[in-house]
Order: sequence, then C-alpha cells, then structure tokens
Amino acid sequence: MRKKTFAAALLVAAASITLSACGSGESGSSPVSVVSGNTSKEAATVLDQPFAKPDLVLTDTHGRKFDLRKETAGRPTLIYFGYTHCPDECPLTMSNIAVAKKALPQAERDKLRVVFVTTDPQRDTPAELGKWLDGIDPQFIGLTGDFAAIQKAARSVGISVEPTTKDRNGKLVSVHGTQVVAFSPKTDGGYLLYGEETTADDYTRDLPKIVKGETP
Amino acid sequence: MRRAATAAAVTAAALACATLAGCGTSGSGGGRAELSVSAAYMPQPVSDTMAAGFLTITNKGDARDELTSVTSDAAGDVTLHETAGGTMKQAERLTVPAHGRLVFRSGGGHLMFEGLKRRPRQGQTVAVTLHFAASGPVTVEVPVRSATYTPTTGH
Repeated sequence: MRKKTFAAALLVAAASITLSACGSGESGSSPVSVVSGNTSKEAATVLDQPFAKPDLVLTDTHGRKFDLRKETAGRPTLIYFGYTHCPDECPLTMSNIAVAKKALPQAERDKLRVVFVTTDPQRDTPAELGKWLDGIDPQFIGLTGDFAAIQKAARSVGISVEPTTKDRNGKLVSVHGTQVVAFSPKTDGGYLLYGEETTADDYTRDLPKIVKGETP
Repeated sequence: MRRAATAAAVTAAALACATLAGCGTSGSGGGRAELSVSAAYMPQPVSDTMAAGFLTITNKGDARDELTSVTSDAAGDVTLHETAGGTMKQAERLTVPAHGRLVFRSGGGHLMFEGLKRRPRQGQTVAVTLHFAASGPVTVEVPVRSATYTPTTGH
C-alpha cells in the first residue's frame, strides 16, 4: 500500500520533469523528494527511486518478438519513445547517443542496448524503423507494436505520449517523448533521465558511467 | 530555490516571446520591415525522405512582416512547424515582429523539408527562399551540418 503511494508521487514528480524539459516553464513545485544531484551543469536527472523497466513485449526491426525485460536484463539500456517522421528531436536524440556510443571501447559498445520505441506504430513498421535506425546506428533496437501497450510502458517511466492524429490539412501528427531513460546494468532500474537539451558531448561524458551502472 | 524557479519562468517567457512572434508587435508607425537571416543550418538528415532546417529572421524595421511560405530546389515541399511539448504543429504563416525576431531552433520550431530530391550531406548547402507578406523574397544558402550539430556548442 505504501509502495503504491510512493509510486504515484514518483509519477507526479516525473511528470513535472517532463513538462520542464519542453520549456513550458512554470511548475515551481520541484520534486525534491525524488530527484537529487540535478544541478544545471549535469545533463542527467538522477532518480533516488528508480523506475522499473517496462514489462513490454513488441516486435523488433527484423519482425521478431522482443521481450524488453528479458532481452536487456543485466545490460546498460537507454530507452527513448519517438517516431521516424520526426525531423528534429528524434533523429537528434538518437544521433547524439550514436556519437557518444562510438567513443566507448568496443566491448562496452556491444553491451549497451539502445532501444527506440515508436509512438507511431501505424507508420513505423519493422521495415521502416529498421531503415531509419540503420541510418543512425545499426546496433540500435527499434520496437513497434500495439500503441496502447507502448503508451502504458511510456507512462510507467513518467513519459507521456499520445496516439497519432490528423490535423486540419489531413497531415498525420505524432508525439514523441521528451526524455531518454537510462537503466542500470546492475539493478535494471531506470535511474537517470536525460531531457531534450542533452548534447552529444553530455552523453559522451556520461555513457562510460552508465555502462558500469554508476551515477555520472 | 523559489528565485531560481521564478527566474527560469521569466526566461522561458522571454524565449517564448522571441519565438512565438506576435508578442509586442504592431506599433508600426507606417515604417517598413528590414529583414535579415542568420544562424541557418540543416542537420544532415537520417533518411532521404525528410529534413529539418533552422534559422533566425531578424527585423530591424518599424513594421512587422509575415513569413508566408518557404521554397527550396532541394525539396518538393517546405512547411513551417512549431513544436510544443513533443507535438509538432504546422503553421500557415508566422509573424516577424517589428524590432524583433522569428526564431526556428531545435526543440522550438523548424522548417520541414519533404519530398527531398537528394539526401543533403554534411558540407553541402541547400538553397532556401523565404517569402514574406510585405518584403521581397530572401534566398539563403543553408549549410548542411552534422546530425548532432547544435549552435551552442558549434559541432
């Protein structure tokens, strides 16, 4: 029971982080009880109470079933929710991580799991996702499938996404998450959040720590 | 703590003002817009289907103007987009305030290039023409930068 309350508090806190990440200002209520060590110089927001890795089974870019918890157990893992028809933030975020990953020694590169979960499964088929991710880093994992399952998984780590809709001109409008969640290889807990302003240099600085499950 | 938060909110408001246009426009006493374009770049796109472009339009004149459309020989279609909280919205026209700026920056708004005729590569430039309600068209050679380029770090 107590645990539940705490989880709820954590979600609220994460929600307010999400909001501030997209610069909608306000939200003077800083989640002091959950977040620590986040100064303006640090790219990472460190969660005192890590998120559980989402229990999510989807389809990967090869059309195979992919059980997130099973496949990434004991691996340093970065998860981002986005879509390929996104010209700005999604490719920038994934490219930043790709650049940082290149700076790791080969053995650590192979351990790292970078997972891109689509928020636009209608358009992002396994083949489309695969083509797009190959242009960034062929080792990255792309997942697609049931939107409701994706949305639920995103919510479980404090990320809000909505289904693709049509605008007045009939153009499809999708929504991406505003954060990358880093999961520790030691605990499998999501212990770090990275907002949209995080640069390739920030990831390059932090990835060597993340692959060891350390706090940057 | 509170002060920091307030300062952040004020900064955010100021940025929003610069970006969203319309804030403190009008006031034109019959003068005219004097437009210039700076900080233009296109991150090398991941695919050959779409790309984003960023730039700043500065208006030193006494009258506001409106960016009404964008064309490029590199793309079949260029549209104006504003981003808010992860959602992208297409805009028909955007105001360049008198003595103000219209800013397309990563995370805020961007020019969206679709129907690319070729995939722009780092080191190339893309010719982009901005069309305005009052002022004449402005053509800019937009440099293609790395996929991770940010104006603040410069790489």
